[in-house]
Amino acid sequence: MNRIAQGIVLALLGAGALSSTVVSDLYLNYVQPGFRPFLIAAGAVLIGLGAAVVAAEARSALAGRDDGAGADSCCSTGDGHGHGAPRVAWLLLLPVLAVFVVAPPALGSYTAENAATAAPPRDGGEGADFEEVAGGSGPVEMKVQEFVVRAWTDEKRTMEGLTIRLTGFAVPNPDGEGWYLARLQMACCAADAIVNRVLITNRPEPPEDSWWRVEGTWQPPEGPVQDARDHRFEVESMEEVDNPPDPYE
Amino acid sequence: MPERPAGPAPAAHASLGDSLATGWDEPDGALPPPEWGRPRGPRRLATVWGFALFTLALVAGNAWLSDRLAGEAFLAWATVFTAISLQALPFLVFGVALSGALTAFVPASFYRRVMPANPFAAVPAAGAAGMVLPGCECASVPVAGGLIRRGVAPAAALTFLLAAPAINPVVLAATAVAFAGQPEMVLARLAASFGTAVVVGWVWARLGRTDWLRLPGAHHDPQAPRWQVFRDSMVHDLMHAGGFLVVGALAAATVNVVVPREWVAAVADMPVVSVLVLALFAIVLSVCSEADAFVAVSLTEFSPTAKLAFLVVGPMVDLKLIALQGGTFGWSFVRRFVPLTLAAALAFTFVIGGVLL
Repeated sequence: MNRIAQGIVLALLGAGALSSTVVSDLYLNYVQPGFRPFLIAAGAVLIGLGAAVVAAEARSALAGRDDGAGADSCCSTGDGHGHGAPRVAWLLLLPVLAVFVVAPPALGSYTAENAATAAPPRDGGEGADFEEVAGGSGPVEMKVQEFVVRAWTDEKRTMEGLTIRLTGFAVPNPDGEGWYLARLQMACCAADAIVNRVLITNRPEPPEDSWWRVEGTWQPPEGPVQDARDHRFEVESMEEVDNPPDPYE
Repeated sequence: MPERPAGPAPAAHASLGDSLATGWDEPDGALPPPEWGRPRGPRRLATVWGFALFTLALVAGNAWLSDRLAGEAFLAWATVFTAISLQALPFLVFGVALSGALTAFVPASFYRRVMPANPFAAVPAAGAAGMVLPGCECASVPVAGGLIRRGVAPAAALTFLLAAPAINPVVLAATAVAFAGQPEMVLARLAASFGTAVVVGWVWARLGRTDWLRLPGAHHDPQAPRWQVFRDSMVHDLMHAGGFLVVGALAAATVNVVVPREWVAAVADMPVVSVLVLALFAIVLSVCSEADAFVAVSLTEFSPTAKLAFLVVGPMVDLKLIALQGGTFGWSFVRRFVPLTLAAALAFTFVIGGVLL
């Protein structure tokens, strides 16, 4: 890999980072919204660095200089052959291809069926420090994640009878009745996504991966709340939504 | 590893090789005759044209291919791969910039003043420094390389490499949030990670040999302007570490999508095996250290000690990191350093887990 190729690879990588943050909201499919400034900064640095390398190369080409010294003369690859950057550096083009050509969508029902489901919080009585659900007149907007945690810890069953609004995507239930409304929870990037889901049985199953905003009520389990396997949700109304701008919560 | 011929002529031949077009495989060390300098222009031009075509292909692919790619498993894999790459990118850029700045702008005498001269005293100091500086594992590898380049004892730099991603304030705060109501988990993570980093550093100070480490890009023209040293150091580190980071991301994404979580959960009841399985899981999953506590807390079937193994091993040994270290320090280093670190991390997990959890 010669110097000019190194410069262009870096610039392309930077372009990938910038185009997925500045031009589109593609990055939300992969990382947290808070990552945006870091990605922009990294993209700008990479483009600047690549441009500087290419410019230096172009200058020395115009001057007819052979600028081996100080350029890529310093490097031998790990296995001792080849000049300049190691061949493995070509792999830096793979993320570029992934962003520009594949542009993979946010994780959806395929992952929701296979990934780990969120676990019931350990019984430390932390359910008690929930602030009371705002009781007002209208439905209460809630993250699926919050709903699931409450449903597992809400021993006083304060959520019972409240109209709650949830947003998520449809996932089939492979073993049993009904379907799941699911949302993926992400701590850092899509590699650590965890599924939160509620079981809906009183509406026909919509197409897999379609997004819905549902209003309805929690169906508390018969036994202790911590032992519940699925959180049942009785739907009063549901409307289809376009993919929300941030697919994760 | 042969760096560069140590002779007086800093060979003007190297960049003749590897461009898109092949056929310029120069034997190492042979200076090309002067007239060979002439085809350089066309060769550079060929590279530029090659990339122009590649960019056109990108645009075409974006227009026609993006919406036609199907296959849920492939797309999930591609998403996880892109996620790991993008998530690591800012940390990698930040790390190589810091490393380049250490090389270009901080005089070597500074480190000699700050770090204790005796490596055995420098190791705990480096571990404590890791506690202060927030940094992802992708950033700490090039920074450790930069420190070694500036004459810091390798043992101390390696302790910093292990400690910084494992016990920095961001990671400890994330652990406290994930394990709400279990402060002993944060304490156990801190103790076991710090212990591992320091012990590995001491072992390296005692037994480590310099020739196991390929010191990255130690050569630069002392007369070159500082910004140029900075730039070249950054490019060099990005080229060496970045490609391997992609290798690690490929492997981690594959494991993430292919291995069902039920397999992991099936062994949760066996006391020692479950610890080893979660350690292995941490190695192959390569989740960044800021997020691993959230993954660990979701593995509810497992004992606290097994979760501790996930938290201690993950930031120090994982696929992405092994590839990155191999690219930066060479494979003869990785062959020795990784097993040592893994053994120390597991030992500390069992001891601290037995005492605290």
